[in-house]
Formats: sequence, C-alpha cells, structure tokens
Amino acid sequence: MAAGVARVRVPCMPPVVQAVGLAKHFGDVVAVDDVSFELRAGTITGFLGPNGAGKTTVLRLLLGLAAPTRGQALVFGRCFAELARPATRVGAALEAADVHPGRTGRDHLRVLACAGAIAEDRVAEVLERVDLGRAADRRAAGYSLGMRQRLALAAALLGDPELLILDEPANGLDPEGMRWLRDLLHAFAGEGRTVLLSSHHLAEIEQVVDHVIVIDRGRLLAAAPLDELTHHGSDALEDAFLQLTGEHDA
Amino acid sequence: MTAQVRSELLKLRTTRTTAQMLLGALALTLLAVFLEGLPPGTAELGTEHAQREVFSAVTTAPLFATLAGLIAATCEFRYGTIRPTLLVQPRRRIVVAAKLVTAALAGSVVAAACVVVAFVAGVALLTARGVDIELGRAHVLGLVLGTIAVGALGAAIGSAVGMLIRNQSGAIIAVLAYAFMVDAVLFEAVPSLGRLLPGKAGDALIGLPREHLLAPAAGLAILVAWTVAFAVAAVVRSERADV
Repeated sequence: MAAGVARVRVPCMPPVVQAVGLAKHFGDVVAVDDVSFELRAGTITGFLGPNGAGKTTVLRLLLGLAAPTRGQALVFGRCFAELARPATRVGAALEAADVHPGRTGRDHLRVLACAGAIAEDRVAEVLERVDLGRAADRRAAGYSLGMRQRLALAAALLGDPELLILDEPANGLDPEGMRWLRDLLHAFAGEGRTVLLSSHHLAEIEQVVDHVIVIDRGRLLAAAPLDELTHHGSDALEDAFLQLTGEHDA
Repeated sequence: MTAQVRSELLKLRTTRTTAQMLLGALALTLLAVFLEGLPPGTAELGTEHAQREVFSAVTTAPLFATLAGLIAATCEFRYGTIRPTLLVQPRRRIVVAAKLVTAALAGSVVAAACVVVAFVAGVALLTARGVDIELGRAHVLGLVLGTIAVGALGAAIGSAVGMLIRNQSGAIIAVLAYAFMVDAVLFEAVPSLGRLLPGKAGDALIGLPREHLLAPAAGLAILVAWTVAFAVAAVVRSERADV
C-alpha cells in the first residue's frame, strides 16, 4: 500500500425517498402497482399523473398513513414510523382541509408543535412565512381554500424539515400565490433540501421542478430529470406527459 | 407520550365542543335534581331512599363524559386532523393511549363538575323544602368518587368506541342506542347478565339504589375490564387501518 495515501471513506447516503416495488390494493382495485423510484437531496420532483392515477396513495404510503400491500416505502432509509421526531425530518401537506373548522389556524399549529416537541416560537414564524399572520387567530371555518393550503404548508414547515411532501399544493392558489409557492420551494431546495410535490397543473409545475415522476393507473411511466423528458426544453412538459399517458392508454 | 397527552389536552381546549358538552351535562344534572326533588311530598323526601334518588341526578354525567370522549375521537376522522396528528407522531399506539388518557381526564372533570352542581342544588332544594338531609357519609362518598370514576372510564370507553367506529354520527347513534335500549332492556330481561354491561357496572360503582346491581367494588372491576377491552380493540384497529 502506498504510504501517505489517505483512504477517504465516502459515506453511502441513502436516497432521501425510496419506493421499492410499491403496491397497494383496495380489495380488487389495484391503486398502485410495482412503483419504484428514488429522490436525491436538493431536488424538486414533480409527481404527475391524471386524476385517480394513484399519486395520493403513493404519498400516503411514503408517510406511513397507509400500509403497502407489497414493497417498501422508505424516507431517509427508514419506514416513516421509525423516524425519530419525524416532523423535523419530513414535512407533509396532503389535504388542505385537514383542520378542525372550529380551531384557529394558530391553535391548529400549536397542537402539532406540542405533539412534536417543537418550540412554540416556530408557530408564529411559519405563520409569517406562509403569509397567514393576520388570519391566524380566526377560526379555520372562515378560511378560503388558498388560506387552508397556506395553513397546511405552515404545518409542513413547522419542524424545519429536510424533505417536503406536498399533495396538490397549487390548488386554490391565485397567480400571486403560485409565484409565492414557487419562490418558497426554490429557496427550500436551494438549501440542499428536497421536495416531492404532486400536481396536474403541468405548465405551473414545469417552472418549479427539476425532476419528474409520471404515473398512470398505479403504474410508473417515467422517472427522469425534467430536461431529459422535455429534450432540454424543446418539448413542453404537457406534450411529454400526454404522450406518455397516451401510450399507456393505447 | 407526555407531549402527545399535552397536545390532546390542547385540542380539547381549543374548540368550543368541550365547553358545550360540559354546559349540557351541568344543565341536565340540574334539571334531574329538580325532577327528582320537587314532586315528592316532604315526608317522602325525608327518607334516605328518596334523597339518594335526588343526588343520583349526577348519573347523567357519565353519559356526557362518554359522548365527549367519543366526539373528541371521531372529530379527528371527520375533519381529517388524524393525518397531521400521525405525521407528527406516527406511533399509533402512543396516539391512542394519549387520547384515552386525555378523555379520562376530561371525563373526570365533567363528572366532578356535575357532582358539585348536583350536591349544591340538591342540598339547596332540600333545605328550601325544610327537609333534613338523611344521606349517610358512605353514600355521599360513593356517589362522589363513583361518579368521577365512571366519568373517567366512560369517557375513555367513548374515545375508544370513536376510534373503532370513526364515523361520528354512527358512533353517537350506537352509544345512545346502547345506553337507552340495550343496557336497560337486557338488565330488565336478564339481570344477572345485564348487570355485567358497562352501563350497569357504572351504576353499581356509583351506588345507585337499584335491585340486582353488583357491589360497587365488583362494578369497578367490571368497568375497568370493559375499558381495557375497548382500549385494546382501539389500538388493534388503529395499528392496522389506513387513514
């Protein structure tokens, strides 16, 4: 062995998110069928598919809210339920309406901060970050869909996580809200953190993501960098998407 | 676990439902005191038996405590807040345990408040009617401690039933149908079996003046056994179910 040559051990970092042969059946209905993909740190991945393609089900499997029929869903190399203080690793917003209508936005976040042993100062911080500070002490029953989306995002950001998993975060946002979301996600990924967001607003998502996963009827059709899918921007994402899902239909 | 219990207590304090349930329980207790204490003549009201009926107005408390536990649990499914809850604490048995503990605490508070109202109103009513209080210390103690214990255990059972049935209106109908039909009918028809049901075990623990009820200690044992059985079922269901 040559003297003086230091052996540098590069730690083998597990992918931030890893789906391995993931399947979910509801009775006879196959909602997700043999889906495998990986997400690396610092990427923003768009999770695309027509309505009923199985996007939300895959996200629920990743977050341990539903159990897979087959396969494995791993975040940071573990099942979600095995993460210590998961809110500080993964922030997720699945449905904007997951809030008690009689509770204020601030109290909704205080309840979650309390359970996750997150400092209560974070509640005011994330409310400001999602621009909900002035409505924070109103009951959620009076919130618009856009405000509920912002509240769900605030809940996801509460633990200052390394990974954001968002299901249709653009629903109910006005153009200004869309730009705000885009800036927020770019800033988040710019810090080396990772985002997985589902959407069917293809034109909007094209401006946000750098990687794309496409599923249809529970099956994976593509998992690739955006550039590769759109041939370095010469095709629109919408065309690539329709071609993929069209071929699958044929 | 402590953090989850604190979070569950904060949930109860940050909606109006809990206060509304408490006010409902207090109002009904007050009504029951007057319904039992006004109609009898003063001679009859002077008997210990009649006075036990007046003060057993607090038996409305456990039903309200049960419904409060049930509503707190089913709200999570009705409004989808179970998802953010499990994203912060994915260990489901901890969430279930915290809900049961919180429900028991809330149930004992509801029951204790009803006990205070029943005794203040009952004593005031008897004094106003010029009747001496004949209730023995043992009965008073049984009524106070028994009601609080049944409130706590009833609320925990309500919470567990809520996590089992999940659908709020379905769960409320199931509990009311049980409380007003199954419990009463089975006890009338087959007392030896009916007294083993949670409702009648609770009545025994409170020390209600009814025939065929178990002794208070046996009632407590049976009610604890029911609570544990419902709690285990709630854990098993929660561990397996998708949300």
